[in-house]
Amino acid sequence: MNCTNQGGRLGHRLAVSILAGSILGAISGSALAAKPVTDADIMNDAATTSDVLTYGLGTEGRRHSPLAHINADNVGDLVPAWAFSFGGEKQRGQESQPLIHDGKMFVTGSYSRLWAIDVRSGEELWQYEHRLPDGILPCCDVVNRGAALYDNLVLFGTLDAQLVALDQDTGKVVWKEKIDDFKGGYSFTSAPLIVKGLVITGVSGGEFGIVGRVEARDAKTGKVVWIRPTVEGHMGYLNGKENGITGGAPNKTWPGDLWKTGGAATWAGGTYDPDTNLIFYGTGNPAPWNAHLRPGDNLYSTSTVAINPDTGKIVWHYQFTPNDGWDYDGVNETVAFDLEQGGSTVKAAGHADRNGFFYVMNRENGKLMNAFPFVDQIDWAKGVDLKTGRPIETGMRPGNPAEATDGKKGSQVFVAPSFLGGKNWMPMAYSPDTKLFYVPANEWGMDIWNEPIAYKRGAAYLGAGFTIKPLNKDYIGVLRAYDPATGKRVWEYKNKAPLWGGVLTTSGNLVFTGTPEGYLKAFDAKTGEELWKFQTGSGVVGCPVTWDMDGEQYVAVTSGWGGAVPLWGGDVAKSVKYLNQGGSVWVFKLPGKRMAAN
Amino acid sequence: MLTVVSRALNSGFIAVAITLLATPASGTQVDPLGSPQWEFMHRTMLDGAPYEFDGRVVVMTPASAEDAMNVPVSFRVEGLGPIERVVVFADLNPIHKVLVFHPHDARVALGFRVKIEQATPIRAAALTADGVWHVGGAWVDAAGGGCTSPGYTRAAGTWYETLGQVRHHRWPGADGGDAVERLRLQVMHPMDTGLAEGIPAFYLERLEVTDVTGKPYASLELFEPVSENPYFTLDINAGGRPLRLSGRDLNGNRVEAELD
Repeated sequence: MNCTNQGGRLGHRLAVSILAGSILGAISGSALAAKPVTDADIMNDAATTSDVLTYGLGTEGRRHSPLAHINADNVGDLVPAWAFSFGGEKQRGQESQPLIHDGKMFVTGSYSRLWAIDVRSGEELWQYEHRLPDGILPCCDVVNRGAALYDNLVLFGTLDAQLVALDQDTGKVVWKEKIDDFKGGYSFTSAPLIVKGLVITGVSGGEFGIVGRVEARDAKTGKVVWIRPTVEGHMGYLNGKENGITGGAPNKTWPGDLWKTGGAATWAGGTYDPDTNLIFYGTGNPAPWNAHLRPGDNLYSTSTVAINPDTGKIVWHYQFTPNDGWDYDGVNETVAFDLEQGGSTVKAAGHADRNGFFYVMNRENGKLMNAFPFVDQIDWAKGVDLKTGRPIETGMRPGNPAEATDGKKGSQVFVAPSFLGGKNWMPMAYSPDTKLFYVPANEWGMDIWNEPIAYKRGAAYLGAGFTIKPLNKDYIGVLRAYDPATGKRVWEYKNKAPLWGGVLTTSGNLVFTGTPEGYLKAFDAKTGEELWKFQTGSGVVGCPVTWDMDGEQYVAVTSGWGGAVPLWGGDVAKSVKYLNQGGSVWVFKLPGKRMAAN
Repeated sequence: MLTVVSRALNSGFIAVAITLLATPASGTQVDPLGSPQWEFMHRTMLDGAPYEFDGRVVVMTPASAEDAMNVPVSFRVEGLGPIERVVVFADLNPIHKVLVFHPHDARVALGFRVKIEQATPIRAAALTADGVWHVGGAWVDAAGGGCTSPGYTRAAGTWYETLGQVRHHRWPGADGGDAVERLRLQVMHPMDTGLAEGIPAFYLERLEVTDVTGKPYASLELFEPVSENPYFTLDINAGGRPLRLSGRDLNGNRVEAELD
């Protein structure tokens, strides 16, 4: 080593520390406030690799990262960087997707909790525990799917149907608004969506006869800008003024008064496509489950509705299961992608529905382009008529209890998929590299029958009984890669327990997803070959994310078994009873200091 | 010199306090309450600023707490001129700071209730314009446990039903004339400390009494040791005008009430 060289280094270091000192001095007056998240940051989220500002790694929800430092060649070396425990006695399903911004991770957990963590050290910065009343009515575990970031705020919804905006630096409440009354069955579990300074939210509670709606508030203040109900007949509002009845008038596709408690809960969140300036929001089952009580299509249940964020009006809709009689919610995400067809590019959108069909739509007008099964057994329909866009039903509906001899229980049918769906809430991913969708699916069916039911506020409003059964001995869960242009299944990975976690794909030719058995797994995006797995200690039902920081790529996922399967899964619930609960977030990276930039 | 002062600011209880009569400000004084925590309190509650133990700051408490979750306390500051704010703290509580009182147009006097975990001095420190804290205090003996047990409304499951409800009463002529009114408030809130197992901190953090135009009479910053469903007694110069109470808790739940 040579002295001159060392002196030079020292001088360099000194200069850097003086610079750092002056920066600290300049900003200490504002108490090191977080870098504000702008609308432009949010619109660029899919392309910027150093942060994860949105649920879905971009408002379109493609869950794709262009990062390739971690790739199919080196993913086998992935090791934990840190893990963080959510603590307490409240270890239930952890379905959350972490967000990464300005050196902090923001992650939500069961029972309406949120943590800010130093993303370099894994140390807690602050936590917010929402005080929940004893009588909350979540249908399907006390989950939360994630937060949203805007300006200096981190926003999330709670199980007692409140929307809370916290200061990113301190965790202090900046504003809090009540979405609705939890005693009427309302709750909120999905991640809010930010569009043009608005925070877009829906409501949960489709099992309690609530009325679904999509709402936009000023993200900085919480003030309501527009409200769009998702059940025909209900009035929408813009800036406090009437803004047209959803569907024009009541009773076009609903009989009698049933639209007043019509369900169509907007419980799984939405995506936004800046190309068409449309929000795609999924709607749940019509209420009650007993379809014999509500002849008609029951709009806009089990649909994707496309809403203009500037007007709060529905531009188009596509209904997956008209007059749904199987609880085939249409809430699953609708993901914008560009489809090459005959030499031109079509603005398309993909949607893998609970009912077992994968739909490819023109996202400018909602016109159906293709529909193909993504599970092996679909009993309720033979297919979807591409001309009319309607399912070709087989007639396998549970019988009308009014026609039963005792008037109590209608005839029972066995039908696949089960009401937990060919795919449930857990979001799929789309890779612009492979041009494939990666769909977390489940192969199961159900015995289902109808019963008489009357609406009672705050009580379950089903009018159905059911029990879920696996279709195969060795697996229920199956991760499948589909080419949306052809409907061709390119590969599949079978998993013993049902899959209940989100998917991530990267330009490192990788697909990540978790399993209830506790593993986070990585697959070759082109072949489906399993390349890496890590046991996190409890079931993984959250959504993995990736980002780069200080020259290294990181992957994070929450761990904690729970969700709807153990509560509603019938025979399946018994088979997963041995899985233990947890509550943590894990972060992974490649060993060694720095990876060479690709 | 120690004196014993006996008064009744709030009707309903007899208060006893031990205070030191006014002595000139100096760097270090002997704590008249002999608390092992005083130096630490001076550093953390008063930021190490100049102070004096001052008999003009009178803190009244029962000598012994019958109910460690509801210990009635009142303070009164007289003869010190304008007071910027009064900080109340309990030396030997697991969470020391109780509240900060800002008298905008009110007498520098407040009645309230606190939770205490064990026998402790309860102090009020009043800040004058010259930057000196004037400190009064009293010992309360207690069997303990007030901060680490769940509240009554939590056990009864009723806290969510009554959250943020306000009751109040106004008595004119608190000082012999019509200008000063005594105002008694109760705000329903569990005021959870975060120290009871499985129950995170959840408490009112701000209350303000204003007229209808927003002109403030008094405001309060509140912390974990304030009792569940807290009561406050204030003497304000409202002269019968309509008043409004506003505030919020740690979760952003708002308190809004007209105090007619």
